[in-house]
Amino acid sequence: MDEKKKVILRLENICQSYVVQNGVKDAVENVSFEIYDNEFLVILGPGHCGKTVLMNMIAGLEKPVGGRIFLDGEEIHGSDRRIGMVFQSMNLMPWRTVMGNVEFGLELAGVKKAERRAVAQKYIDLVGLQGFENSYPHELSGGMKQRVGIARAYTNNPQILLMDEPFGALDAQTRYAMEEEVLRIWGQEKRTIIFVTNNIEEAVFLADRIVLLSNCPATVKQIYDLNGLPKPRNMTDPEFLRIRSEVSANTDLAL
Amino acid sequence: MSKKQEMLSAAEIREKRLSVLYKILPVVSVLLLVALWLAASSSGTGFPSPAQVWDRTVQLFVKPVKKLTLIGHVLISLRRIGLALLFDWTFGIAFGVLIGWFPRAKALLGPLFNAFRAIPPLAWIPLITLWFGIGEFPKVLIVIFGSLASIVVNVQAGMSNVEKMYLDVGTVFNATPRQRLMKIAFPSALDAIFAGVRTSTSAAWMVVLAAEMLGANAGVGFLISRGMDSLDMPLVLTGMVAIGIVGAILAVVTQFAERMICPWTRRKKSY
Repeated sequence: MDEKKKVILRLENICQSYVVQNGVKDAVENVSFEIYDNEFLVILGPGHCGKTVLMNMIAGLEKPVGGRIFLDGEEIHGSDRRIGMVFQSMNLMPWRTVMGNVEFGLELAGVKKAERRAVAQKYIDLVGLQGFENSYPHELSGGMKQRVGIARAYTNNPQILLMDEPFGALDAQTRYAMEEEVLRIWGQEKRTIIFVTNNIEEAVFLADRIVLLSNCPATVKQIYDLNGLPKPRNMTDPEFLRIRSEVSANTDLAL
Repeated sequence: MSKKQEMLSAAEIREKRLSVLYKILPVVSVLLLVALWLAASSSGTGFPSPAQVWDRTVQLFVKPVKKLTLIGHVLISLRRIGLALLFDWTFGIAFGVLIGWFPRAKALLGPLFNAFRAIPPLAWIPLITLWFGIGEFPKVLIVIFGSLASIVVNVQAGMSNVEKMYLDVGTVFNATPRQRLMKIAFPSALDAIFAGVRTSTSAAWMVVLAAEMLGANAGVGFLISRGMDSLDMPLVLTGMVAIGIVGAILAVVTQFAERMICPWTRRKKSY
């Protein structure tokens, strides 16, 4: 990576808590870190540690009880056009075709039909779904659905793409294939990606840097810089395995 | 032929047999009904036989009642429910969206609506007659009162149960409140709305017949009350069979419309 890394997103002392039956449950506690322009940042943490909550706050789906989020130097409140999201549960609209889902964001933004079709088609092609434009989500496999989710997020041309455990629901083989796909797509269309996972191998395979979160409430445990490990990475490479076990030893067990 | 092919063709044959069976079964049930009917009518209770009903139906075309054949009476009834459904599917859907989507509107109007739908449509007959006399309009009004609730309830349920995950997509894309309603909530509620379309259609068809039996000079319900008054049981049964057939056709038509308008709800064959 180049030397003059530009900070695009900064989280400052982010806290989130919920009122539960008897008291208050802290989900995220004092999380601060910076994300550089066009980097592939993976947020790694045990199950139910508050990773999704953190994502939702960046996406503007919920408001933090404390702390601030800065995008390009200015504080943001709520959702922002410059931030796109690929959801864990895909969230495709079953009443829309692949094309209808992918162009949804542009449609909401009021882009003319011909223009948004062209842009959507570009990303449908990019994720390898040409020929399925008129299919409905229920006709697609899990991997294909998530490709639609990725294309939909890309189509709005966000600076930052949030991916919240996008491959969590896929089987192992499809998951490996999609991990390579996401790197290929990222290589062709560079964006800042914040990728959430609880899978250590996936994290080490994808990340420029890994932010390791603790068990609930989530705090930043450690940040690993993996830029020294060239991509594409080989999951059986000794260096890969060394980093993997180093991260693994440091990761809290999910309860 | 290889073993695999043999197995495949065996499966194919089994599937074909099954599909034939599914076509035969409905015919079997109709034949059973006719057999039971024959048995019941031969016991000498004055219950008309299928042949008598058939003759009466044919006669209805030769010698119309009140200048209308059976088809004419069916069309009169259909026109009444058509007008009522037109209102249901515009105002009813709009009202369902209003109280399903806007919590304040629900708090304001929900209790009134719940009280309204608890009143059986026929209970309105005295008031409606008092206000509007006995023309076409009061009959359509009774049908509306009898079928409005079923569409409003379904639309309301669909609109208040919009999955959060679809709305989240809207939030991430900065949807305006209007877009959240028109582009996310309403389309996601379309299958519930169609359930309302189906139930309101069948409710309207039932209520129009009841309304016609109480005071009309045309319509299928009128045929039945006419048959009752003149002790013409075959005419009563003709009316009942016509009601059953038209009701079944209406159900098929609305189901077909749903499949055309909401192609994503097409599952495998649903029968």
